[in-house]
Amino acid sequence: MNSMNSMISDIKAALSPLETSEPAFRQIAAVVKPDGIHGALAYLKNKGFTQLCILTCIDWIEDSQFELVYILFSWTDGIHIQLRARIDREKPFFTTVTDIFPGARYYEREVHEFFGVEFCGNEDLYKPLFLELWDDIPPLRKDFDPQAYSDSKFPMRENANEFLSMTGGGDDE
Amino acid sequence: MNAMNFVYGFLVLVAVFIFQTTLTGINRKVTARLQKRYGARWYQQFLDIFKAMRKDSTSHGWVFDFGVIMALGGIMATVIFIPVAGFEAFPGLDNVFVISYLLAVGMLGMAMSAAGSGNPWASIGVARALTNMLAYDIPLMIVIFTMIFAFDSASVGELAAMQQGMGVLGWNAVRMPLGGIVAVIALLGMLGKKPFDSFIAPAEIASGPMVEYGGKHLGFMFILHEFMTFIEVSLILNLFFGGGATIWEYMLKYAVLYTFTTIISGVMPRFKIDQAVKYFYRVPLAMAVVQGLVVIFTGLGVKIWF
Amino acid sequence: MVLDEKDNRSPWEKIGDYFSANSVWMKWYCTGCGAIEMPPTMTSRFDMERLGMGPMATPRQADVLLITGYLSTKTLRRVIYSYEQMNSPRYVVGFGSCTVNGGIYYDSYATINRLDMYLPVDLYIAGCMPRPEAIMNGFAKLIDMIKKGEARGWRHYQENYEWYKKNQLDSLGEVIIKDEFHE
Repeated sequence: MNSMNSMISDIKAALSPLETSEPAFRQIAAVVKPDGIHGALAYLKNKGFTQLCILTCIDWIEDSQFELVYILFSWTDGIHIQLRARIDREKPFFTTVTDIFPGARYYEREVHEFFGVEFCGNEDLYKPLFLELWDDIPPLRKDFDPQAYSDSKFPMRENANEFLSMTGGGDDE
Repeated sequence: MNAMNFVYGFLVLVAVFIFQTTLTGINRKVTARLQKRYGARWYQQFLDIFKAMRKDSTSHGWVFDFGVIMALGGIMATVIFIPVAGFEAFPGLDNVFVISYLLAVGMLGMAMSAAGSGNPWASIGVARALTNMLAYDIPLMIVIFTMIFAFDSASVGELAAMQQGMGVLGWNAVRMPLGGIVAVIALLGMLGKKPFDSFIAPAEIASGPMVEYGGKHLGFMFILHEFMTFIEVSLILNLFFGGGATIWEYMLKYAVLYTFTTIISGVMPRFKIDQAVKYFYRVPLAMAVVQGLVVIFTGLGVKIWF
Repeated sequence: MVLDEKDNRSPWEKIGDYFSANSVWMKWYCTGCGAIEMPPTMTSRFDMERLGMGPMATPRQADVLLITGYLSTKTLRRVIYSYEQMNSPRYVVGFGSCTVNGGIYYDSYATINRLDMYLPVDLYIAGCMPRPEAIMNGFAKLIDMIKKGEARGWRHYQENYEWYKKNQLDSLGEVIIKDEFHE
């Protein structure tokens, strides 16, 4: 069992993060440089963080950056580690981590679909996962307007009695 | 054999359909009461069948259609040969082997039709149904062969008649108690009651062989199921519980036996198919073999009996 | 788009409708929420079997397609497939606000707003979520409608297939299911 403090000092020594914090009990957050993610994940996997809980993304549209978030969990220590790295929003390219965590294949497809981040090296990246036949910019980007898309695609109900008049009911309601 | 036999045969089919469908409806009520529900109306099974016959249905090729007709034909032919309280539409043809082989025609028709639908769940369901059949048949057949050996007759009607006149003590289930237990367990497997209903599991394999049936095809399958239930319960009733001296006694015993299986089914979870096979090949098979050895080598229960 | 209200069924159809009304088998397409409202309706508290209703395993066997909760575009393709596999007479019940007008997902990029644009809905059960009492009440109404021959959505779908197809294509692009499991 590694204690939290030794874990934090380990991370500071080995990964030289830009910033570390403890957001909650037995959770560690670390911000690293984008090119340090790969090494950090390999290092942490060797330290016992064998499970990649999630890989997700945040759109910081004012900074023109995407923030990739990797959350790892260690079943021996019971500690969550969150690794964050910011990449350029205009050129959203990143390397895949499927060589370290093969399960990341699906998370990367999801991030690609919803944010448009391209993970070089993931051969399934262009297969559709959730959005079939999507024809607009990736929908979880902050400049996407879901209301406008919904209005253009899915007609709203115009008035309350339309359904009742269609089926001939409604008199006895 | 003359024209009257065929008329009797037809009447038997109609009577069996009405009797068994009513009993199924009542048993749905029994299950509901076990689960503290009010339950469906007693004639709900009729409504379901006629509703299904009223709907349009989808065909999946001629194998699919022909299999249904073949299964229904085979099963209806089997029903006619079942002796009911000494009455037989075609006297002298109620041999155990005739019935079990004709039953196989129906089973195979059903398997063919279900496989002809091309749905993978149907194939899995058929494979499980046949595996299940192989599991319960071996213990049951050992007991039935023992009985045929002991009584020197393979006629279901004669075997039933031999048990009458001594009250409960004459029943084969009492003369051969282990065999009787095996027969009731095998009946649960035959009827597809829980815990042996893995081949029609609705949530796991989407009702198995029935997966592609709808409308009229489904209606035929329901009728088929009623007839099949009648054959299976009647076989066990005639061989192990003495049939019936009168038609009323027969019907009463039949209702009690069938409701008993429903009650067991109502409180049981479901075996996986491999667990069912393992179970049948362990407990009932051992009991059947012991029963066979006792009857063949000592005559206890058959030759030595009061 | 008003259905003819005259009762011009033949006596055989009336008998058939009597059987259909008293034996309503459902396929629950529990897309989003709503699945949890069905077990209490089915089990001993409300016991839908006393009205002759019951769950069925596949769309082929079912009479009623019960769509509970929101429908994403991806799900709607599967729902249309399921509906077209059913045998007529078949009925559709929309369940919950999301099928009526989109509910709280009215502005979502992924969920549709009106189910009756794509499938002929015979009855809506409003609410978010409807309680089992509301479901039983809705089904009593549906049984009544079938008995009187008012639930004619499946005929409407046959007669106005082009209209439904156009709506489906406008919102979905195409109805063909293409994913890595259907290659």
